[in-house]
Amino acid sequence: NGKIEWAMWANEQALAAGLILLTGGIVGVAGQFRDREFAAYSIAAGVFVCLLEYPRGKRNKGTSVERTGQYCFTVCVKSFGPLTRNYYVRAFLHAAICVPGGFILAAVLGCVCLGIASLIYLAAAIRGEQWEPILPWKESARKPVGESIKLPPQNPPPRPPAEMRRKRAEDLEAAAYVNPIAVTANDD
Amino acid sequence: MALSVRSWVANEGGKHLVLVLWLGANTLLFMRTFLLYYCGQQYHYLHQMLGLGLCISRASASVLNLNCSLVLLPMCRSLLTYLRGTHTVRSRKARRLLDKSKTFHMACGVAICVFSVVHVSAHLVNMVNFSVRYSEEFPSLNVARYRGEVRFPGITGILLVLILFLMFTASSYCIRVSNYEIFWYTHNLFIVFYIILIVHVVGGALKYQTNFEAHPPGCLRANQTNPDKTEEESGQAEGDGRSCREEARFQPNSPETWLWVSGPLCLYCAERLYRYIRSNSPVTIVAVVRHPCDVIELRMLKKDFKAHPGQYIVLNCPSVSSFENHPFTLTAVSWFKRFTELLLPDPGAESEILPMVQQRRYPKLYVDGPFGSSSQEVFNYEVSLCVAGGIGVTPFACVLHALLDGWRHFRLRRLYFVWVCRELQSFYWFAELLCALHHKLWKENRPDYLNLQLFVSQTDGLQNISEERYRPLSSRLMIGRPRWKLLFEEIGRTNKHKRVGVFCCGPKGISRTLHRLCNSDRYSGTTFEFNKESFS
Repeated sequence: NGKIEWAMWANEQALAAGLILLTGGIVGVAGQFRDREFAAYSIAAGVFVCLLEYPRGKRNKGTSVERTGQYCFTVCVKSFGPLTRNYYVRAFLHAAICVPGGFILAAVLGCVCLGIASLIYLAAAIRGEQWEPILPWKESARKPVGESIKLPPQNPPPRPPAEMRRKRAEDLEAAAYVNPIAVTANDD
Repeated sequence: MALSVRSWVANEGGKHLVLVLWLGANTLLFMRTFLLYYCGQQYHYLHQMLGLGLCISRASASVLNLNCSLVLLPMCRSLLTYLRGTHTVRSRKARRLLDKSKTFHMACGVAICVFSVVHVSAHLVNMVNFSVRYSEEFPSLNVARYRGEVRFPGITGILLVLILFLMFTASSYCIRVSNYEIFWYTHNLFIVFYIILIVHVVGGALKYQTNFEAHPPGCLRANQTNPDKTEEESGQAEGDGRSCREEARFQPNSPETWLWVSGPLCLYCAERLYRYIRSNSPVTIVAVVRHPCDVIELRMLKKDFKAHPGQYIVLNCPSVSSFENHPFTLTAVSWFKRFTELLLPDPGAESEILPMVQQRRYPKLYVDGPFGSSSQEVFNYEVSLCVAGGIGVTPFACVLHALLDGWRHFRLRRLYFVWVCRELQSFYWFAELLCALHHKLWKENRPDYLNLQLFVSQTDGLQNISEERYRPLSSRLMIGRPRWKLLFEEIGRTNKHKRVGVFCCGPKGISRTLHRLCNSDRYSGTTFEFNKESFS
């Protein structure tokens, strides 16, 4: 039973929550609700969360599936080093971001969803998960091919020592040795 | 490669027709409900108060009703297996549509999410309008208690969105592939979703006018006399022919979600109950065989178990995990209710099962199924091409077993079997079966019935099947990847003007290539119909 990687689910949730915050903020601004500054904050927070969460992290084992075009986001997020690698930081960051959203109706849903994502990130952090960037596979990671393989062999293959090779007529059984490759008679 | 209209229609036509019908139904429902609230007389005052938000929220709600009821139907797997197997659905084209049931489920799910967003946004605007445009004329129409009230919105709506959020975020492809348990547990929250959904509409916030004949909307303004107007002006306003006889009366909309949803929900719950009861009798493990490349074969016996070649079952092993169920195809089904299957267990499960098995303490296993899949159609084509990648050979192994028992009574006249593996050792899983079938067909003078091609895709190292008894295999073994275009051309040349069923069970790369080739056009009048197996 493989270990569940909670961070992957938290990442999907945070991305969706960012979109919900964004949508709620747009409705709040366009629908002429009161407290439009909170709606504007919701838009900004939504965009920030989406940018942070867009690049998927690398799985511990197995192949990681990238999101389309996530390479430039990966580079940006990677450049923050331990701030983005550590999931405790992300959990508290999301918890802090979602609080102001709770003040207006339009962003309440985004706030609750981001709060759930923050809790799952906390669970992932407690289990010791970390965000690793998915970087393109480098050619140099392959082991270099040894030089000696490119030349034909100079020496014949090794043989058993001379006294074993010499057929001893008095003891045919002991004189036999096992052929490494099975030899069968050619009758076709 | 040019796209051939005929091939495309043969392969994709049915699916796209269903898609168009579904989109049409959604659009029709949306427009009808929108116009009802926009123009309907009984909603005139409500529309005045709420504006466009009313129409959009109600229209999206009716689309949500439709999709919430449709989304359950493709998941009634036993019902679909019955429809597929017993030829209730006569046409092969219609049965091919059943292969796409999971895709349809996902389409309805996405529609539910999209329209939920629309519905919630429209209701947010409605909330504001209820508060800002509080109506003193018609107090019973209001939801707010006074003008400018900020009211906390319906708790059921918020709960529904949260459950949908959890279900949707856990059902992305990469989570299903890596952490299937998260997907399974969150998706089973659907029952809570439906219960809250039925409660959600009982609120009755939106009301319609019941007496619009006696009180035509807009007539109140004619009755209200403006103190500045003269007698003639107010008399003129009344003179457009309609007069109010009574006060407007309002009544909440009766909830109709339960009408849409209760049928499919009961059907699905009955299906789950049936599957649970059927799978409750444990199977007897008769033998466990270890094969090369970390594969084990389980031979099992179960009472009243009847399956057809190509079907799959879902295994549950409580000693590994009580709630997880994993699908596996059956590799052999016989008359005596024995069946075997080849498992590629993931390392965790294997390390737990194997020690128990080695000490002959077989773990208890529960089997749910069998369920139908597209591989059952192999026998219904005159010519079939089966492409297997690695462990994906299992459904075709069942087909080969069935042919070994008797091939004359099927419609199938020729089978092309291509098996691509990474390692040579994998071919030993079914080497006996392939050779036995080959010999049988030679003896019965049908050497061209089975065309076998084996490919080893890992090209380094010396590789050969050296056993004498597997000679038919070693002469058909090729190193490297298959050249699909050439294979299709050859099949097209030798089977002109026939319909060839293409069945693929393997990695996505292969199945995408084959799908593309089936839709393209170069094969002397032969049509290739693509059928794909998928489990996740």
